[in-house]
Amino acid sequence: MIEVRNVEKIHQTGETEVHALQGVSCHFPGQTFSFILGPSGSGKSTLLYLMGALDNPSTGEIFVQNRSLSTLNRKERDTYRREKVGFVFQNFNLLKNLNALENVLAPYLPIGVSADQKKRAEELLKQVGLGKRITHRPSQLSGGEQQRVAIARALLKRPLLILADEPTGELDTQTGAEIFECLRDVSEQYKTTVVIVTHDERYIRDTDFILRLRDGRIAEENV
Amino acid sequence: MLKFAIRNLLSRSLRSFLCLMGLTIAIAGMVGLFSIAGGLEKTVSQTFGKITGIVAMQPGAPIPLFSRIPRSWGAEIGRIPGVSIVNAEIWSRVNIIEGKPVISPPRFLFGTELPTRLQLKNGIYREAIYAGRFLSLEDQGTLNTVISKQIAEQHKKQLGDSIEVNGQEMNIVGIYETGSILLDVAIILDIEVVRDITRFDPESVSCFYLEQSGDVENDELVKSIKEHFKGRELASWQPTSLALANASQSNLLKALINSIDQSLKGSPSSNSEAKNKTQVKNKSQTEVSAIKDPSQQIEKEVSALEVRSASDWGDRLETFTADLDIFLGLMTGIGVLIAILSIINTMLMSVIERIVDFGILKANGWSNRDVMLLITAESSLLGLAGGILGGQLGLVAIYIVNWKFANQVHLYASPGLLLFGVVFSTTLGIVGGLYPAWWTTRMTPIDAIRRG
Repeated sequence: MIEVRNVEKIHQTGETEVHALQGVSCHFPGQTFSFILGPSGSGKSTLLYLMGALDNPSTGEIFVQNRSLSTLNRKERDTYRREKVGFVFQNFNLLKNLNALENVLAPYLPIGVSADQKKRAEELLKQVGLGKRITHRPSQLSGGEQQRVAIARALLKRPLLILADEPTGELDTQTGAEIFECLRDVSEQYKTTVVIVTHDERYIRDTDFILRLRDGRIAEENV
Repeated sequence: MLKFAIRNLLSRSLRSFLCLMGLTIAIAGMVGLFSIAGGLEKTVSQTFGKITGIVAMQPGAPIPLFSRIPRSWGAEIGRIPGVSIVNAEIWSRVNIIEGKPVISPPRFLFGTELPTRLQLKNGIYREAIYAGRFLSLEDQGTLNTVISKQIAEQHKKQLGDSIEVNGQEMNIVGIYETGSILLDVAIILDIEVVRDITRFDPESVSCFYLEQSGDVENDELVKSIKEHFKGRELASWQPTSLALANASQSNLLKALINSIDQSLKGSPSSNSEAKNKTQVKNKSQTEVSAIKDPSQQIEKEVSALEVRSASDWGDRLETFTADLDIFLGLMTGIGVLIAILSIINTMLMSVIERIVDFGILKANGWSNRDVMLLITAESSLLGLAGGILGGQLGLVAIYIVNWKFANQVHLYASPGLLLFGVVFSTTLGIVGGLYPAWWTTRMTPIDAIRRG
C-alpha cells in the first residue's frame, strides 16, 4: 500500500541542518492499523506528513498504491489530500468559526458541498456519537468530541489512508481509548489503512504493524 | 466559501469594524468631493439647458458682470441675418440689501431692455414666475422689480412688499424661481433704472442676449457675428481695471493677477492702461495703429465681440470640471491610500493569526488558490460593505450640505458616482487582500500547522 524508499528529510533552520529522517525505507500494508513509535525528535511525525504529501522529502520516494508522490503536480497533491488522505491531529485542528458539521465538510467548501455529502457528514457525526452536537462549534465541544469531529472529517472523503498524529495526546485515558476504538471501528468498516504516530503503546494490538524510529532511522519494524 | 468568509470577518468583529470604518470614511470622502464637480456639472446643465439664445460680450470677460460693450452695437447685431431679437443687458453686483452687506451668496442687479425682453421666445425669468408677474412696458423707468424666490425668502419678502437694494426702495411685482443657483440670484429691473442706480456708462451695456430667427444654427450665427465684428478694436477685459487700476506695474499682486488672467484667456495681455477702458476706434484709425504697432495686427484678426452659445459655456465648464476632477482625485487619493493600508494591515494580521487554519485547510485538500480566494473574499466583502456604507454616508452628508447651504452650493452624487464608489471600494478590498493572501502561499501546509 505505502512504500517508503530511502527517504531523507533535512529541515533547514537558519544555517543549521536538522536531519529528521535519514534513509528510511519501509512498507505499510493496506487496510491495516499501523503505528509509528519512537521518542520525541525521532522523525515520526515528519514521516507521517511526508506520506500525506504535506511536505516533500529531501531525497527518496514514497509510493502510495504504486504512484510516487513526488511525481504529483501541485493540483494532484491537493486532490490527493482532499480525496485520498484523512488527517487527525493531536490538537484536533478544527476551524473555530465553523460548527461540527461544517468542519466535517470543510475539505469540500471550495468546490461546493453536495446534499449527499452533507447527509453523509451528518451520518458520520452520528456514528462517532455526535448526532446531537452537529451545530456546536469547537469551543462548545470537549477534547474527545473535537477529535471525533476530526475523525468524521477524515472519513467523509472515504479515504484510502487515515494519518493520525498523536490522536490521543491531549485526551484522558478513557477518552483516548474511546477514540482508538472509534478509529478501529471505522477502519474496519471502511477498509481504510490507518497509520498512527503515538508514544502510547497501550492501544497496540498484536495484529498491528509497528515501525520504531530513533534519530531519523528505523530502529525496529515488525508485523 | 462566502459564508465562511463572513464568519471569519465576524469572528474578529472589532478589527473588521475599524477597517470597515476606514474604508467607509474614505469612500464617503470620495463621494463628497466628487459631488462638488457633479453638482457643478448638474447646475451648469440645468442652467444652460434653459438658455436657448446666444450672449455677445466683451472678449476675455468671464461673465457678463465684468463685460462692457458699446450700446450702439446692439442695432448692428440686430441687422445680421439670422438674428431675430437683441436684448441689451446690464449686470451689476448688489452690495447692500435691507441695510445688510451682501457677500455670499452674491446677488445681482439685472437691468434688461423691456421691449425686446418681452419679445423673446424663451424668456428664462419670465417663464419661471412663481408669484405675481414679470415686468411689463409700464414698468419702464420705475423701481418695480422681479426678484428670485431665494432672495425673497432670505429677506422674508412677499409679493407687494418693498425691498431696499443699494439704498433704493424697490417694489416687488413678481417672484421667480428657475431652480438653478446660478440664475436665482437676480433682482430684475428696467435697464435704464439699473443704469441710473449703478452709474453705468450711458454708452455701454454689459452684454446682448440674442435669439436666432430659427432657420440659422447657433454655431453659424456665432461665426457670422464674430466675423462682422472682426477688425474692430475693443479692449479685452482686464481684471486689473477693477481692482488695481491705480497700482504701479511693479506691484507683485498686480503681476500675479495679470498672469492668472493671461492663463484664463490663453493670450498675452497688453500692458496698455488705455486698453482697460471701453474704446471703439473706427477702421481707419485701427489700420493706422496697425502699421505703427505690429502687435495690433494680431488684434485686427480677432473679433471685438465674444459670442457664446449655451453649449460654449457648457464646454468651458466641462473643461474646468475635468481639471477639478484631477484635483479632487488627488485629494481622494490620500484617503484611499490610508484605507488600502488599513485593509492590508487588517488582513495581514488576520492571516498571521489564522496561519494554522490555512495549514489545516491545505491538509484537507484546499489549494493555494482556494486559500487566496477565501482571504480576498473576506477583504472584498470589507470593500463592498465599505463602498455601500461610504456611499450612503456621502449621500447623507451631501443632503445636509445642500439643505444647510441651499443658496450657496449644490452638491450632486450621481448614481454612476455611487456605483463607482462601490466598485472602487470592492476593488480596493481585493487589492488590499492580495498581499496577505499571497503571503499564505509561501508556506507548506505542515509549516503552517507547526506554527501553531
